[in-house]
Amino acid sequence: MLPLGCSRRLVAELRDALDTCAERQRQLEQSLRVSRRLLRTWEPAETPTPTPEPTPGPETNEEAPSSAGTPSPQDLKELELLTQALEKAVRVRKGISKAGERDKASSQKSGSIATSATTAAAPHRASQTKLPRGTRQATRPAKGLPKPKLLSAGDQTCIGRGPLAAKPGPGLRDQQIAPSAAPQAPEAFTLKEKGLWAQLSSTQTSDSMDATTSSKTQFLQKMQVTSGWPSSGLSAAEVEAEVGRLQKACLLLRLRMEEELARDPTDWMQEYRSLLTLEGLQAIVGQCLHRLRELQPEESDKEVPGCHPTRPRSPVLTEVVEQQLGPWPEERLPMASLPCGGGAEPTWSPQLLLYSSTRELQTLAALRLRVDMLDQQIHLEKVLMAELLPLVSMQEPLGPPQLALCRAVHSLLCEGGQHFLTILRDEPAD
Amino acid sequence: MGRRRRPAELAGAAGALPEAIAALSRALPAGPSPETFRRAKFDRPEAAPALWRLLFRVLSPPRADGASASRALEAQARWVKAALLTQGYPRLRLARLPDDGSQGSRELLLALSWLLARKPLLEPLLARTRVRLGDELPAFECGALASPSLPAPRLEADGPVDACHLQWLMGKLRFRWRNLMASQQEQCALLGKIHMYTRGCHSDCRLGHLSVAETELLRDPEGGRQLLRRLESENARLGAALEWWRRELVFWQWMDTVLGACPPEAPQPACPPGLGGRGRTAGAWDPAVWELQALQEELQAAVGARRAAWAARVRGQGPEWSAARQAAQEATREAVGRELAALRQAWERGGGPQPHGPLRLVRTEAGAPGGPGLRAVEAIGALKSREACLEAALHQLQAQCRQQLARLAGALPGLLWIPPPGR
Repeated sequence: MLPLGCSRRLVAELRDALDTCAERQRQLEQSLRVSRRLLRTWEPAETPTPTPEPTPGPETNEEAPSSAGTPSPQDLKELELLTQALEKAVRVRKGISKAGERDKASSQKSGSIATSATTAAAPHRASQTKLPRGTRQATRPAKGLPKPKLLSAGDQTCIGRGPLAAKPGPGLRDQQIAPSAAPQAPEAFTLKEKGLWAQLSSTQTSDSMDATTSSKTQFLQKMQVTSGWPSSGLSAAEVEAEVGRLQKACLLLRLRMEEELARDPTDWMQEYRSLLTLEGLQAIVGQCLHRLRELQPEESDKEVPGCHPTRPRSPVLTEVVEQQLGPWPEERLPMASLPCGGGAEPTWSPQLLLYSSTRELQTLAALRLRVDMLDQQIHLEKVLMAELLPLVSMQEPLGPPQLALCRAVHSLLCEGGQHFLTILRDEPAD
Repeated sequence: MGRRRRPAELAGAAGALPEAIAALSRALPAGPSPETFRRAKFDRPEAAPALWRLLFRVLSPPRADGASASRALEAQARWVKAALLTQGYPRLRLARLPDDGSQGSRELLLALSWLLARKPLLEPLLARTRVRLGDELPAFECGALASPSLPAPRLEADGPVDACHLQWLMGKLRFRWRNLMASQQEQCALLGKIHMYTRGCHSDCRLGHLSVAETELLRDPEGGRQLLRRLESENARLGAALEWWRRELVFWQWMDTVLGACPPEAPQPACPPGLGGRGRTAGAWDPAVWELQALQEELQAAVGARRAAWAARVRGQGPEWSAARQAAQEATREAVGRELAALRQAWERGGGPQPHGPLRLVRTEAGAPGGPGLRAVEAIGALKSREACLEAALHQLQAQCRQQLARLAGALPGLLWIPPPGR
């Protein structure tokens, strides 16, 4: 059995990891439910065989989508209803959004519809040949090429056509009602998004910020002066961040060194370069060590609570906390604020990630998950090392329980808990 | 209110302050009313709970769920105190506030201003709660698996456990990861299909197809209305934030007066050395120092060997050879210097050229020139190198453990340690 404190901490860590995983799974499953529901209308058949086509009219168009300009009367009526709904939406929205933006954006939109309609024509043809199932279901939804003149009616048309062909009668009515209320929303967000977020990022860089910035710095200085504490330099969070960076540095330097050592220089130039690189790496490592040692003495002469990696480090902090808060809270605190993602980029529309096949997307997502998993494993490994190695090294007696512990610790730390080594007593043959 | 003479933009400073505060309270999530701010200046106790909750909300990591937000005021207050101190909050008075969250509104107001002044606080908050319409993948976000801010209350009756229990938990974790991977693959397949089917339906030609959220929007009018409402409230907050940024100067002047109204702190005596009891076990410092020292030793050995070889070569060549090669050597030196500087950037700047934050997925034709945006192929490459880095790190940690354990095993004579097969 492991000691109580150690057990609790380790179990808490592992349970946290499990909870995080479970949370992510839950979110994924929610997205899956939504996606499956959406796709059900496009692929209602459970069997891979295509359902019999109810209306032969639209189907004949599919071989020659360029001649898709022969919609049935039903479709024309539907489009008319949609246009009316959209015009109504535009009138309603006049009261909400700024006039200037709307005019600008609506001309933008009609322009882009025209271009998207023409560019959509080419991919559709290509997509027909690409689809593995080769059924007509898959191309049906994409077939509804929007008429260029209709303001975003294309959105509705596409979706309307899909389920339309699958369930003709009732489907039509449902789909007619649905888009009428919807048009407000897409237009509203596209316009407003462009307006306000853009203003936000421009305000950040305007000139009037200087007076504000100086008053802020003044305020911060005053806070520091009136605090009554001697200035303690870097905060705990910052120190932790720096240590993290230095650890990352160590890893990258080591990788580079191994890369360099694996190379076999063929001529004097490469040999020289290799030598210089290694010397440069050595210098950097020296600097990192120096920096690490600089950060370290802030604490080495004070008592620090244990070695839990998530606890803050400042000595004054520890004392205050112990005086005022009692034993250190076991909860995780927001340590270094993440250096990424907090800057100006999130204020504008998210950047695009272009992929061209499902396989690519799957590879990307799988890699992302793998990176997260490795991050977690490294964290767990460090925690386990910090707790278990001292245990194993401290105890002297050679009894079986001690050996069992060693074996278990070896498995946890070196094999990720998956494999075990064997310990045999080396009896001399008699 | 101390009024400093400023250019004309502050004429009417008397009215500007309430509006600035009102804008701030509208822009913050769970923002307290402007009245609370005023009360806090005078350290009124009734203003304290709202400010504790606000600070909790503001400081919690991005993925804090609703459960932690509904924790008792006491728990939140304790957490906020610890969090602020960790971030380096300079005032001692904060730590002395009672845990029940009933007092300290002025100190909390100062804490909030301190946070606002140090680094951008509103922007990340706004970005966090932004209504997202696209299907997104956090390709380069760090800490995507950050643990929840407040762990669920654990049963205090947890006894000591066996190492087997830990192994069991790790196995469970591995299983969950496998499940997660499988679900993720399925989700990607479905997303791919939806993107393909809705091609040509989006008015923005850069995107070209709808996302799940947008498709749902068109299917479901009720959902559309809800989305509209969310967007409207987001717009309200954005408008408030913009107004805040226009007016915040007068707020800072006011905060100066609030700070002035505080009684002065007695200067603290020098910290008594140590409090006894908790000695240092293997600090988290040590692995970092170990690793760097080990690396330094290895490099020393390698450099020594290469230097010697180089010296031998130069000696063998004669002086005219060295003179002839001077220029080339110089160029090499510069090139190596640049390379190493770029390497340093990798950990100092903490990001590199990759875009941070979630990226919206857009399906395009293979080979099409495409518009602005990151190509999946590049992202895959970057992630692969990151994966390699992390795998190397993990293996190195494991190797360290193996070394240490082997040393221990060596100290125990009479036993054979047979590593598992495949090693």
